[in-house]
Amino acid sequence: MTTTNDLHERLTDVFREIFQDNSLVLRDDMTADEVENWDSLSHINLIVALENEFSIRFTTGEVTGLKNVGELTALVLSKVG
Amino acid sequence: MLSDRPLDLDYRRLLAASRKLTTDSGKPVLKLALLSDAATQQIVPVLAANLDRSGFSASIYEGPFDAIELEAYDPSSGLYSFNPASVVILNATQALHASFARRKISAVDFIEETFARMTGVWNAIQSNCQATIIQSTFALPLERYFGNYDLKAPESFYAVTLGLNARIVEAARQRKGVLLNDVDGVASLVGRKHFFDDRFWDMWKTFCSLDWLPHLAQNLTDILVAMQGRGVKCVVVDLDNTLWGGVIGDDGLEGIVLTAHGEGEAFYRLQLFLRELLRRGVILAVCSKNDEVNALLPFESHPDMVLRREDISVFIANWDDKASNIRQIQQVLNIAFDSMVFLDDNPFERNLVRELLPDVIVPELPQDPSDYVRFLTQLNLFETTTFSNEDLQRAEMYRVEAQRREAAASYASADEFLQSLEMQIVVSRFDPFQLTRIAQLIQRSNQFNLVTRRHSEAECERMMNDPSMIPLYVKLSDRLGDHGLISVVILEIQEESLYIGDWLMSCRVLSRGVEQYVMNTVFMYAAEVGATQVFGRYARTQKNGMVKDFYRQFGFTLISESEDSTSWSLSVQAYQPARVHMKAFEEKQTEIAAS
Repeated sequence: MTTTNDLHERLTDVFREIFQDNSLVLRDDMTADEVENWDSLSHINLIVALENEFSIRFTTGEVTGLKNVGELTALVLSKVG
Repeated sequence: MLSDRPLDLDYRRLLAASRKLTTDSGKPVLKLALLSDAATQQIVPVLAANLDRSGFSASIYEGPFDAIELEAYDPSSGLYSFNPASVVILNATQALHASFARRKISAVDFIEETFARMTGVWNAIQSNCQATIIQSTFALPLERYFGNYDLKAPESFYAVTLGLNARIVEAARQRKGVLLNDVDGVASLVGRKHFFDDRFWDMWKTFCSLDWLPHLAQNLTDILVAMQGRGVKCVVVDLDNTLWGGVIGDDGLEGIVLTAHGEGEAFYRLQLFLRELLRRGVILAVCSKNDEVNALLPFESHPDMVLRREDISVFIANWDDKASNIRQIQQVLNIAFDSMVFLDDNPFERNLVRELLPDVIVPELPQDPSDYVRFLTQLNLFETTTFSNEDLQRAEMYRVEAQRREAAASYASADEFLQSLEMQIVVSRFDPFQLTRIAQLIQRSNQFNLVTRRHSEAECERMMNDPSMIPLYVKLSDRLGDHGLISVVILEIQEESLYIGDWLMSCRVLSRGVEQYVMNTVFMYAAEVGATQVFGRYARTQKNGMVKDFYRQFGFTLISESEDSTSWSLSVQAYQPARVHMKAFEEKQTEIAAS
């Protein structure tokens, strides 16, 4: 059973790996503009890493419609169940 | 460095590894350009990480998205100012599909038109630079419009993709300087439903699923590494429980397991695999802990043996340790340790060889002999970029070589032995019939290679037709057999000086006086054309230490020296012709100048 805390920790690890920033702390209202290296290329890598880490699959619409980290976290949580 | 076990092909880990790469790793740099009608941003870091793992530093030019033709046809494009050694062209099936969907012509015409566009790109690249082209095949599509009838309907996209692949393959066979990157092979190996990720194509025009992208990049890496002359020349194989089941010394001829059915089939299949490698020019050697008479028994009298004694170029069966025996095999064959593969079922022997001869590739064979062939296939140890008639005769050449060595032992002096060989030599300007073998020797020679420039076959062809160049090949035969084309020397005349650019030779013919004969020829030629001075250069690599004093031996004077190279010169007047034990092959006069 995955708890929200667990999930948050694994999510943070993935973000740190992809954006190469070991001190990165996620906030729900955080957007791509605020994170260094979060461009279209690393966004693809983030999506793949999340799919791979949590054994989930995003749809095209989900991937393109996200506004901030909070929405992404909620999406992952809903898929992990 | 070829790997002895399957490589980690995890996208995330390779991406992380790519970020740690530095440009000053000291590894040889490979300059390559990537052109694609798909996005290439994800491929570049993974390819760089894979190449780094194989011992190369990648310098990659990424063409703009979907601009293959623009880059190829514009002589002032970024592609050409980058001046790559190879141009990788990746054509996506999804892009082909989009263009097929818009066609206003028949499917047959569509194939022809697409094929003409692709070969047009090859032509443009080859007339603007000297790079080797690495063309992808199309992964066969998932979409099926007729079901199984796709294959019978020439109008189907599936049939069109197949037809186009066939045209590309045929054209690449006919053309020098074009290699194939079998993307369809990768896709079918991993499964097309996994290979394609339509979401990623839709959103980002990603070539394939990122999970499988490292496989694609590794396939390219294998080709690029093979282009650098890294390849397997010899497989050394153990006997008991590797080539057959059981122990011949204990179980006897009737007791060993080797049949074309049942339990022995695994060993039988490994032998079939090795025989195919032999046919494609890989030398086989045996290294076994056995009494020789026992070890030979199955080769002589077992009805299910595929390999015969004459297929084995060096046969060592004794009770010495295997590292010493492999060292002996290496000396007889005169090849580098890193071009040798050692197959043994016994982990102890494998570890011993790894420990004492770290350059030898020792596959970590699986427990079950039924998996041997599949495992070896997965390692892709036998990737190559050339295949010539020489390959077909190689095993025979090495067998004859072993005879020569035996003969040598019975002569009082080396001179007397060399005389007895009745060697005949040909030194001749490059000609079209030899180009494949010439390019192959240039890719493969590491030890006896003065400057180690890897000219492609297309470049060799250009030099052949360039009247200012004097590109020479050397062939040698003797009374025991034909050595074939064994040396390449490339000269250039500038005013009153003759420059020796490349000088390389197969180590099979060391200590025969070949280089002495050729040097005599070089100086005779220099005198003929009125040159007064001959210049030569040595560029150090990890492997060519044996020729660092090459020019000194011939009386050249050192004129300059840097960390990695030395330059030498000798006046034509001062040259003392070396004594040789061979004569020019009678039917072929030495021809040097361009006709």
